[in-house]
Amino acid sequence: MKALLWISGATLAVTILIMSVPAVAHHASGPFYDSEKRVEAVGTVTKFVFRNPHSFLYLDSANADGTTTAWEVEMGTAVMMSRRGWTPDTIQAGDEVKFVGQPSRAPGTFGVCCAELTRPDGSPLRP
Amino acid sequence: MSLAGGGVVRGSGRCAGLAVCVLFLALFSSDLVPVTTAQTNPDEVPRLTGVWDGGPRARRVNGPNMPWVPGENFPVLNERGLAYQATFDEAIAPKYDCVPSASPALQYDPYMMEVTQWPDRVLFRYEKDDQIRTVWLDGRETPTTEFTVQGFSTGHYEDGALLVETTNFVFDIAGFDDYNGIPSSQQKRVTERYWRDGDDLRMTLTVEDPMFLREPVSYTTRWLPGAEGYQLQAYNCDPFEAGHPRKYLVPKYR
Repeated sequence: MKALLWISGATLAVTILIMSVPAVAHHASGPFYDSEKRVEAVGTVTKFVFRNPHSFLYLDSANADGTTTAWEVEMGTAVMMSRRGWTPDTIQAGDEVKFVGQPSRAPGTFGVCCAELTRPDGSPLRP
Repeated sequence: MSLAGGGVVRGSGRCAGLAVCVLFLALFSSDLVPVTTAQTNPDEVPRLTGVWDGGPRARRVNGPNMPWVPGENFPVLNERGLAYQATFDEAIAPKYDCVPSASPALQYDPYMMEVTQWPDRVLFRYEKDDQIRTVWLDGRETPTTEFTVQGFSTGHYEDGALLVETTNFVFDIAGFDDYNGIPSSQQKRVTERYWRDGDDLRMTLTVEDPMFLREPVSYTTRWLPGAEGYQLQAYNCDPFEAGHPRKYLVPKYR
């Protein structure tokens, strides 16, 4: 039973690694994002910028109070992401995406780093 | 006999023709073909030409503890270095304005690199920041008044390795290590030794900078052969996206 749990944990870890967005490689995430906190939301993609040294995913997410938050998910460099099959069209405006990641530190900003991206139903978002 | 004599005559004619050709080439081809003065025994020249993978497949990715590992090879800073490090502000790091990475960070960035060996020079082309470094093997002097981001490199082959020495860097507020806010000065001197270890390309890099470091420091790393046919991609650093994360910082200075 213990072995089964361990295997399940290991499988989950590998799955998360595979599904995770390529990490930020241009700079340390610590000064910009709080690794002790997690933020998650489902939003509609407004723009996917596939560039160097960082790609960015822009999403609008509706809040319970009727307001909208414009999230900015920092991703890896286009050069490295393209080696994993990513292209500027992997995510398109209008797509629904769920993210779980580290929130930005500066008050009043809605940046996200080191995020795991999925479709709203939890299915992996892959190139 | 006549055949033999004729053969000698014809052979002499060919020798004379060959000598003229060699003389012609020696006199007039210097502008057409790179000239070498530093090339040594071919046995001492390792094959470095090719595309090399410096990504996560080859080595641990760079960060605050890599390649400068606390307790192992992390630099000992002098008072000036400590003072600069203490006042370092992440927002000022030149990379957020697309200023290219330089030695000793450039070689450890997790990207592809292409090496081309010529008789008189070795070209290092880096996918990161679209940088090209030329290592001159022809014995030329380092210019005394030219200072650049990548400095000026000279080198030679020795015992199956390429030895490179680079000086004439510009001051860089994060030029030793931008993850730890350690600057480098115009006195930075970087030496690199490249050699082949089976299929791998290996390098030991040493940095001296008496303006900030108490003693020289080194790291050793490796590259793996790049995928067959891989061509380096253009980096085309985007200044807006490079500086975009600045707004997520809690500012150290206002």
